[in-house]
Amino acid sequence: MTFGSKQQRSADRERPVGRRGVLAASMALALSAWGGPALAQAQAGRKLRVTLNSVVHFDETTWARLVDKGPRPAAYIFTTTFCPNCPDAFEKLRTFVMDSHRPVELVVVLMDVDGPKALEHAHHYTGATRLYTFHGFEPAIRQSVDPKWPNVTPYMVLLGRDGSVQRSIGVPEPAMLKKWLP
Amino acid sequence: MTSSLAISPLRALLALGTALALCGSAAWAHQDAAGTKVAHGAQAATAPAGGGARPAPARKPRPQLGSGVAFAPDGALWLAGVDLQGRMFVQSAPVPAEGGWRWTPPRILDTGGDAISADGENRPKLVFGPQGTVLVAYTQPLAKPNTGYVRLLRSTDGGKTFAAPVTVHADRQVITHRFESLGFDAKGVLHTVWIDKRDLEAAPKVGNKPNYRGAAIYRNTSSDGGATFGPDIKVADHSCECCRIALGQGADGELRAMWRHVFQPNVRDHAIAVLRAGTPGAAAPGVATPGEPVRATFDDWRVDACPHHGPGLAAAEDGFHTVWFGIRQQGEEKVAGVRYGRLQADGTPRPDTVRMLPDDRAEHADVAAQGQRVAVVWRSTDGMTSTLKAWLSADGGQTFQVRTLDSVQGENDFPRLVQSGQRMVVVWRNAEEVKVHDIRF
Repeated sequence: MTFGSKQQRSADRERPVGRRGVLAASMALALSAWGGPALAQAQAGRKLRVTLNSVVHFDETTWARLVDKGPRPAAYIFTTTFCPNCPDAFEKLRTFVMDSHRPVELVVVLMDVDGPKALEHAHHYTGATRLYTFHGFEPAIRQSVDPKWPNVTPYMVLLGRDGSVQRSIGVPEPAMLKKWLP
Repeated sequence: MTSSLAISPLRALLALGTALALCGSAAWAHQDAAGTKVAHGAQAATAPAGGGARPAPARKPRPQLGSGVAFAPDGALWLAGVDLQGRMFVQSAPVPAEGGWRWTPPRILDTGGDAISADGENRPKLVFGPQGTVLVAYTQPLAKPNTGYVRLLRSTDGGKTFAAPVTVHADRQVITHRFESLGFDAKGVLHTVWIDKRDLEAAPKVGNKPNYRGAAIYRNTSSDGGATFGPDIKVADHSCECCRIALGQGADGELRAMWRHVFQPNVRDHAIAVLRAGTPGAAAPGVATPGEPVRATFDDWRVDACPHHGPGLAAAEDGFHTVWFGIRQQGEEKVAGVRYGRLQADGTPRPDTVRMLPDDRAEHADVAAQGQRVAVVWRSTDGMTSTLKAWLSADGGQTFQVRTLDSVQGENDFPRLVQSGQRMVVVWRNAEEVKVHDIRF
């Protein structure tokens, strides 16, 4: 079961969308309907960022599977709806990823809401590739990710292509980012 | 006109694209949840995304177990909370002649259809005051995320009946007024304090972001037990945004508020201030004036993040006992944990008293004290099992003994200490029941 909502989009802040941008956006939206988001991304390049419109549950078993079989490199941003620092931290990480010109899975995990309520907050994380929501007893899920995580958000985990796992409260230090995407 | 004609094809194309996209959005959502790789904004990794993707089945709403507890003047223990239907209720347990505390059935209170925040650090509060006054305060979340009003239910007949809810603060912007705490001082003046973002909203912007650290602490007073309130008064700029505020009455009878503060540039330690009414410097007689905040903890935790973890505060014979969460640099290591320490009467810390709780999984600790007896309780969670632990001192906090009081599987609230005279209990609510443990030193 998914929680669908109206599709949203936002233009890149640094580069205002002119006539060409409108055309590109329109084409991308149309193509997204027919060919899926990956194709839309390919057409729109960096000018279009789309807000996710579905969520996937994250329970006590999810993290082990993601570390074992999930995409790499990847960044997981654990957040709550009442965390005002989290959107800024996500944006800094997204900017780093975009500047790296590397294929990266950029995942947001909302810990305190699910379903439509989670989607209401998805626009804070425009550019994320996937949106999870906690499903179950929050402390147990949190400890499945990291037994020493003291429930401070944003909590970020960087999974490197080489199998490395780095953890950070708040935006990771530059050295950590460099190690993640060398 | 020319211009309009010139862009018509563009508009038509845009409309076509948008329409097609909207038609396809449902299919998109389906693909996503089924585990198909998606790629918006950031470039998607090349490996399959199926590692943890699982279609989201229907789920039960997570219970909101955050509750307020207090002793009534007759010694009965009361609890205010929210049930599975989101309704506010109160229930009480008379002083047990023998055996354990037995709760009366929950009694639903009319909140006029308000939504109620009752999860974690933001929970209903319950306070008994003079002349049969019983107050239940809560945050009413509003439609916009992270906004809310502080609301109050008031009884003047010992809790038999409650009037319709009122909004406590004068400011009615749809912004943050949340994480309220309230209490009576020794003179019977009601103090309400909350986290408020009016100054953040009004701050000049740099780019598209306000040039303001965190939120602010505001307060007001009521000299008639919550029937009317004085003006909103700022206690301090730059509080942390989503941590509970602790209240404690000092030996002088005045209330102190302690909260997580954002000291320059981004140090999330704690501040404490006297909540004082009618002091010199007030704008008019009876108008409250806050004491100057002082820094109460020095972890020097520099972070742009949200701890969701406010402090606890209790009066000592010569100051205050406090517990708080923080991350402190110790040598090469950053040590996270809940710490205990003593404060001077003016709120400044006594560094020689600071120590970690004996549990690196301790969270959301509470503290209470009576004379030389000091109790610290906390929740310690290991997977699905949560354990209630206590750290007890009979010598004013110089030495402690740790005890395990209880454990439970699954959802539960943070433990709440409450005391009346010599009696001290910890109340711990879970999804099935509300447990009460008498603290024995």
